Amino acid sequence: MSPPDNSLPTPNVDATATAIQTTGLTKRFGERAAIDSVDLQVPRASAFGFLGPNGAGKTTMIRMLLGLTHSSAGSMSVLGHPVPSERALALARVGAIVEEPRFHPQLTGRENLRIIAAARGPETHDRIAPALRRVGLSERADEKVKKYSLGMRQRLGVARCLLADPLLLILDEPTNGLDPGGIQEFREMIRDMVEQEGRTIFISSHLLDEVEKICDHAAIVDRGKILMQGAISELAEGGARHELIVSVDDPVRALEVLEISAQVAQAQRSDEGLRVTFSDLADISAAEQAASVNAALVAAGLAVSRLEPVRQSLEKRFLEVTSRLSDSTIEEVTA
Amino acid sequence: MNATIAAQMTGADILKLRKKRGILTWSLVLALGPILIYFVAAVIEHATNPGKYGPAGGAQNFSDGLRVIALFFGPLAALLIGVEAGTGDASAGVFRDLVVTGRSRLALFATRVPAALAVTFLMMIGAYALLLVGTFAFAANLPTPGGSLILNGLGFTLLATGMLCTVAVGFASLTTSKPAAIIALIAWQIVASPLLASIKGLGSTREGLLSQATAHFSPVHVGEGGHGATVTLSSGTAVVVLLAWVVVFLALGAWRTRTMDA
Repeated sequence: MSPPDNSLPTPNVDATATAIQTTGLTKRFGERAAIDSVDLQVPRASAFGFLGPNGAGKTTMIRMLLGLTHSSAGSMSVLGHPVPSERALALARVGAIVEEPRFHPQLTGRENLRIIAAARGPETHDRIAPALRRVGLSERADEKVKKYSLGMRQRLGVARCLLADPLLLILDEPTNGLDPGGIQEFREMIRDMVEQEGRTIFISSHLLDEVEKICDHAAIVDRGKILMQGAISELAEGGARHELIVSVDDPVRALEVLEISAQVAQAQRSDEGLRVTFSDLADISAAEQAASVNAALVAAGLAVSRLEPVRQSLEKRFLEVTSRLSDSTIEEVTA
Repeated sequence: MNATIAAQMTGADILKLRKKRGILTWSLVLALGPILIYFVAAVIEHATNPGKYGPAGGAQNFSDGLRVIALFFGPLAALLIGVEAGTGDASAGVFRDLVVTGRSRLALFATRVPAALAVTFLMMIGAYALLLVGTFAFAANLPTPGGSLILNGLGFTLLATGMLCTVAVGFASLTTSKPAAIIALIAWQIVASPLLASIKGLGSTREGLLSQATAHFSPVHVGEGGHGATVTLSSGTAVVVLLAWVVVFLALGAWRTRTMDA
């Protein structure tokens, strides 16, 4: 005998499938492509940043993934289920905040969650209290939402997502309106969800620092196109030459030693010490290059007190790739 | 979607309507206010000039009061509730969050109708109870309506208000704009519909008017003019007209809910 149909369909979760996969996904508004042939892979159990400037197409992408609007071309799957053909299965274990979280202002926080729980299924009601506790709203849950600050509404939005016991959370600019303490708590909650609970978090944001601090993987999007995607560390370095800060007892002598090294493209004095930029040698790792420099300096009789790789920031990389797009666009227009 | 889920979703929609104080207050004013005013005025008239004005209660005043709540003010109250049910989620920006649950859009639309009807019927039962209290309390030596007329009157009140409430849910879901839906439906109900009904040149076309088909089922006399029936039509035609109004507007509302960007 089959069990009673008392909830949304239970997804047959394929743990090996990517959380989100799109192929050639396109959304056109008239002639303008808001999303232009996007191929995206979001790995499971990771925090994935969907990074782009305002108007890049981030929200449009999320709306398509959630079946809120139709795509013009291409295909997509969420938790292994094609959307929109298996939308109910795909979304059964998805929680989402699209743009700013909205609620019925005349209802309390708890009542707003009851509205969503009613649509999700009877078992969801038991998750209301834990979800409110999780986001720190238990004590204010019986106040009307119209009295909530933006930060409280953001937290209630996350609680609403948790009602699905989500395998995938899709959050659109989630830290908008949060104070610094709230942002810190939010980061910790997201990292807990990924590391302790194995959930996948898809965060769209234009805040580079936020994505860099929260996410393991990211895609950079601009004007509807994915410019690059991968692990945050790869994206930040992404073809940039390795750099090293070096402190020695005799900087002048050290510069002489470094200038004749084949691996060193440039060495110069900076406030922090000597800043060494390596040659673009793809087959040699940053660690190997640093060890080589250290060996050369020590062999020259210098005392090395600091040898620190310069961490490439995602912000720098983001500005590089988005300006690269602008340049190419300008070139196309000029041509 | 099984009965449990449907009941829970309808309960959630009732909760939304119940907590919408502004709409609820205006609907209550429209449903109860006119009857209250009617009896207060009639009592004062009778008290000040009993020779000219009879007691405020009794069968005749019941008939007049029934027309007031079933054909005029009651439908306006039902209309407000129906529009709120049809547009509440979209205007609060919550519709997309309901869609994200994976629940079918048709199910989200469908549960609005019983919720709106439940609130409307509760309110109209209250108004009808007030009418009965006034009818019997102020009847003095006048005859009072019998059990059959009382039941038929209640059925007619629920039919008239339920029809407009259902149409309002569908129409509001189609427009997704609360102000536009309220203005259009009120204009139709109190201006366009009576006007069209009074144009004799339209002939049998007027049988298609919701107000005329509804008035056909009135248990009390509904005369010429005002908001009463001006067209004579068969019971079969009246039923078909009522069903057509409900089916068309529900279909339009469901189509819009299913296809719109959330």
